[in-house]
Amino acid sequence: MSKAASRVANGGAKGHAQDGGASPLSSNLRRLSLANPPPKPSAFADPSSDICPVCKSSRYLNPNMVFLVNPECYHKMCESCVERIFSHGPAPCPIAGCKRTLRRPKFRRQTFEDLKVEREVDIRRRVAKAFNKVEQDFETLRDFNDYLEVVEETTWNLILKIDVETTERRLRQFEEAQKAELNAVNPAAARRVNEPDPTVLSSTSHVVLKKGATQRKVASAVNTPDPFIEDTKTDNGFIFRGLKKPKPPPPKKVFDPFEGYGITPDYYVTQESYDVDWLTWFKDDKAHSAGGFGMKDFYDHMLCESFAGLGVFVGEEIEARENGASGDSAIGTQTAAMAAAGGAKDVDMDDVF
Amino acid sequence: MLQSTRSPASTTASSPGPDGPTDLSQQINDSVRHRFVIDTRPGHKLGEGTYAIVFSGHYRTDPTHLVAVKRIKKNADYHDGIAPDAFREIQFLSELSHPNIITLHAVFSTKSQTLSLVLEHLPGGDLEQLFQTPRDQLAYSASDFKAWALMLLRAVAFIHASGILHRDIKGNNILIAADNTLKLADFGLARAFAEPGRNMTHQVITRFYRPPELLYGAMHYGAAVDVWSTGVVLVELCIRDFFLPANTDVEQFHVVEHMFGTPTEESWPGVSSLPFYNLSSAPPKQAQWRAWAGARLQMLGGDGLEVVSGMLAVDPRRRWSAERVLRHAYWGNEPQMTRKELLPRVPGKGGKKKVGEDLKRGAEGEGEGEGRVEKVARKLDFGSMRN
Repeated sequence: MSKAASRVANGGAKGHAQDGGASPLSSNLRRLSLANPPPKPSAFADPSSDICPVCKSSRYLNPNMVFLVNPECYHKMCESCVERIFSHGPAPCPIAGCKRTLRRPKFRRQTFEDLKVEREVDIRRRVAKAFNKVEQDFETLRDFNDYLEVVEETTWNLILKIDVETTERRLRQFEEAQKAELNAVNPAAARRVNEPDPTVLSSTSHVVLKKGATQRKVASAVNTPDPFIEDTKTDNGFIFRGLKKPKPPPPKKVFDPFEGYGITPDYYVTQESYDVDWLTWFKDDKAHSAGGFGMKDFYDHMLCESFAGLGVFVGEEIEARENGASGDSAIGTQTAAMAAAGGAKDVDMDDVF
Repeated sequence: MLQSTRSPASTTASSPGPDGPTDLSQQINDSVRHRFVIDTRPGHKLGEGTYAIVFSGHYRTDPTHLVAVKRIKKNADYHDGIAPDAFREIQFLSELSHPNIITLHAVFSTKSQTLSLVLEHLPGGDLEQLFQTPRDQLAYSASDFKAWALMLLRAVAFIHASGILHRDIKGNNILIAADNTLKLADFGLARAFAEPGRNMTHQVITRFYRPPELLYGAMHYGAAVDVWSTGVVLVELCIRDFFLPANTDVEQFHVVEHMFGTPTEESWPGVSSLPFYNLSSAPPKQAQWRAWAGARLQMLGGDGLEVVSGMLAVDPRRRWSAERVLRHAYWGNEPQMTRKELLPRVPGKGGKKKVGEDLKRGAEGEGEGEGRVEKVARKLDFGSMRN
């Protein structure tokens, strides 16, 4: 019965034969390299790609079956297996020969049919996220090109699994250094960048299998730098020549409620009240007070009018306007303001009344 | 500060001679008029009010520098001079120079002795259109509100610091520039602060925005009247509806008293001395402002509510001045106000595409009137291909 089913499934799976089975994949990936191209996929293609390698149930019996992969090892398994095995926390990969610890949230549907491409895209995405410099960040084009070369080298090291341990460590150090730098320069931008991205590969390949509180601790440990990295804090993983110094953001402007248009008198200080005979009656008049007539506003206005024009020298303004080719009235006003500032020193008028 | 480019508003200048301009004022006037190109074609009016028609125009030297030309209609009552509202507008606008107050570029008169005011071109609609637009077409947040309110209050504080009362602050008169700046406009009812003892009319300010002291007929009032109107405008912006609508002056009493309670000698010392105080003989009402505002003005937050409540104090002496409002911590508090360029716009106003559509519509409207020639021009309209 099952034989028949699998044969039928094989028949229908011709189109899927290219994406390869789960179990030979890791060896397949290991062989992946530019120097010696992998053998033809057809030789390694698992004809039973529509059968879950874990529970052996086939798409023939369950048409809604969905296969998921984990970017940790890219082993394919069906959704129900993922639910069953990983719903209670991290567990080792059920594929024989693979000892990697997988976690439920990291499982996803593959985007590319070829899992090698899928993995390369993931790695590239992660590396590109850490190395996010642009040409403007460098002094010369040569420096930028050197930088690009380092980035590409790192990427291929990860893809081809050359020096993975060292590369991973350096990459993590570099990420931390970038984060620290960004925090110092622009806290808002840093917050944006530091938000966890679910698509990014887990950088810890050794997760301790524990649950509850300890599990949370492990999760938080991913974000905080390892203690032994702390020791080598001066080492940023990568050092690039010709990087421009980060510019500190302009100091935050103090909020000016009047946007520079406040009117502060230069020549007088208005007092609360002035004792002048003809004003006394109005001060006590109910019709004035109840209507909201502001005596203070009146004093202000009168003082302003009586001092208006002081420190304004029309001759100088005209001169400035004629000297300035554009005839911009702002120049004249500016000189007048300067003259006013200078003139204010000579005049000592605190209270004229 | 007097700008030398502005012409003296001389409509009463000697009649022009048959051979062109004769005297100096006429020559200055003509040179000012020549600086602008005005589109007086019938379909191209920007608007028409009771006492003026507004045309679009631009500088002759720079066609991208648009202006609005407000041509004062001839007023039968003032055939020997300038209508007082036009005079006020010219007088105060030429003195005020502030980013949130409409700019008066120039004034000139035409041969038919009508006066034209060259004003800033403000295509973004006005504040009333802003809050009258349905929510699904235009949404704005507390941050946007704060930015608008700040621009408005800066204008109000500035005119008060300059000793001028606007006396007609309402959503209609707060225009929006192409760069989303609010601009206080229409100084037709403005006047300088009065001296003590000088009576002022209480029949000013559009009814919905009239403060209680004017309703009670006060002849001596101050900057507080503008602050009340500003407060009402801000509440309207929050609730997106008119705040204190009334059809008659008497009804306006009731609406205000219904919201803020009947003023008494305790709450407003001296109120009984105001001319119309007894006019409202109904049983005293309790203020429901606190409860109402708590429910309806959630956009403001606690600090914003404090500010608006201060602006809507019934007793004008307890009402906050615009300067005090500006010095409140509300403006610096969270939420931070929206940057000007990110503010929402009135749909159909501003924006390159929209302007293009408006232009096209104008051409169509004109095509009806002027026949075949205009249709040819419309065929050659490349404006729609630009985007």
